[in-house]
Amino acid sequence: MTALPPLGGPVTDVDPLSEQYEAGRGRLGIEPGLDAIDLVEIGDSTMELNMGPMHPSTHGVLRLVLNLEGEVVLECRPDIGYLHTGFEKDFERHTYQQCIPYTDRMDYLSPLFNNLGFSLAVERLLGIEVPLRGQYLRVIMCELCRLASHLLWYGTSALDLGATTAFVYAWRDREKLLDINELVSGVRMHTSFIRVGGLLADVPDAFYEMVGAVIKTFPKLIDEHELLITKNPIFRQRTIGLGTLTPEDAMAYGATGPVLRGSGVPYDLRKAQPYSSYDHFDFDVPIGRTGDVYDRYLVRMQEMRESLKIITQAFENLPDGPVNTTDRRVALPPRNELNTSMESLIHHFKLVTEGMRVPAGQVYQAVESPRGELGFYLVSDGTNRPYRCKVRAPSFSNLSALPHMVRGELIADVVAVIGSIDIVLGDVDR
Amino acid sequence: MTAVGSPMSGARAADLLERELPTAVRRRDSGLGEVTIWVDRADLVAVCTLLRDHPDAAYTTPVFVTAVDWPDREPAEPRFDVVYMLRSLQHNDVCRLIVQVTEDDPNVPTLEEVFAGMDWHERECFDLLGITFTGHHDLKRILLPTDWDGHPLRKDYASFGEPIAFTHNLEWALPAAERPRDMPGGSR
Repeated sequence: MTALPPLGGPVTDVDPLSEQYEAGRGRLGIEPGLDAIDLVEIGDSTMELNMGPMHPSTHGVLRLVLNLEGEVVLECRPDIGYLHTGFEKDFERHTYQQCIPYTDRMDYLSPLFNNLGFSLAVERLLGIEVPLRGQYLRVIMCELCRLASHLLWYGTSALDLGATTAFVYAWRDREKLLDINELVSGVRMHTSFIRVGGLLADVPDAFYEMVGAVIKTFPKLIDEHELLITKNPIFRQRTIGLGTLTPEDAMAYGATGPVLRGSGVPYDLRKAQPYSSYDHFDFDVPIGRTGDVYDRYLVRMQEMRESLKIITQAFENLPDGPVNTTDRRVALPPRNELNTSMESLIHHFKLVTEGMRVPAGQVYQAVESPRGELGFYLVSDGTNRPYRCKVRAPSFSNLSALPHMVRGELIADVVAVIGSIDIVLGDVDR
Repeated sequence: MTAVGSPMSGARAADLLERELPTAVRRRDSGLGEVTIWVDRADLVAVCTLLRDHPDAAYTTPVFVTAVDWPDREPAEPRFDVVYMLRSLQHNDVCRLIVQVTEDDPNVPTLEEVFAGMDWHERECFDLLGITFTGHHDLKRILLPTDWDGHPLRKDYASFGEPIAFTHNLEWALPAAERPRDMPGGSR
């Protein structure tokens, strides 16, 4: 991988509509160039307001303690942990295969990325590689999952700003993607489809038809979504210039994913440190220009089109062959072998009862989830259970930049900023 | 299989440290395409500031900080590995630093002045593993309730099964720290 181009490279086609935004502020009596915080005289009349944890726009159970002067946010203190489930402790008590369903439930909107990150980490410790067909199917399923996750984000963050129609449209399309999940794994959300050593199983024949339909219909559907929101004057007035994050701040807060790229930093782990054959596919990394809520919106919409590009390429070039590794320490032997081969029977028995023994060592494997860098720091002591597994959750770091983003904004805009970070509280709290 | 970074992630940081701050690098090890650098906690802030500011490194993004508990290796080696991961977007690299601290003195200096994003990660590490970050402006629990007892990711934290003492195992009624190590509930 060559070094990346310097920061502030080419940008997507963004028209910040700044005149329209300033005109809107002018009608409110705000002088150009002034932030809301410049207008208030900070006296002793500040109010502390509790927002959440049961608030529809906090996307789960996030509690914010807001310090207000009038309607202007002076300070924001997020209170998290309401969904803390102790998955990292659970990992230490379960065999590697048993950990996979736990990973599903962390970032419950992109379970496949969690499966993939964990599986890749274990596979690196084991020193095995998944056959090419398995890798391509992983990529297809992950990118379908990214589409589903971005559609959910699109619907809910538009809903936060009052655009109910967009929400219904997003749900309509997401169903098609969940149907594919159901087809290949039997489950719509917590699929556990990606396993250590490969996949749950090869895909059934109906998969080709359904993915083909997605490739064919989705470009038009995304156009439809953009038609609803992208040039919508209400949406633009509410989001342009709001919740700005400079590239330096984004990096210092450890923000990743669309939040970082919205600030104009072209960093995508699929490009920068490719895994699972992502380097075989041709796609672009969209970035924003100003790092406001609207840019993050544009970046995610463009990312959906790039995901479709990846799915198309992987689908058209899908190789034949096995999807699972032939390493019998890791993957179950095929059912028909059990009738004739004593060794297969032994491997099957050992794998089901004891699990796989992973060589001692430590590894950090990161994947680019819809929310950013999802990393698994895995320490093995040579037994069949992880000694320690730290999950580096993208939402956690992205959310920690929220107080910085909303300082000086109006309280009604806090929900727009939260929506633009695309947090999943299961991911934040784990 | 693609390793994180290439050719060896973290080698850039290790080489730079060995050149600029040779006394700070206590040990350097590599495996599975990743370099690990052991540093003393007294040097930690200087090391991270150098890694952030030096143009050859530019590790400007904190990835996480956590700790790994190895209770059985004291006193030969300190009990906790405090693990820092930093990422350089400019040079497309991640590096791993490890600071070892003992059970009696689990302190490391805070890095929130160096990386704003370390704030929450340090709180999480304090919450779940009981590592104290000296100088942190608001070191309190972040995921668990404020009145929680103990630090769950320590290996001697009894997290399932209630230890019930009978006449044949009266030692199970001892305080957590003094209980035998093979007692049910621990995860070591």
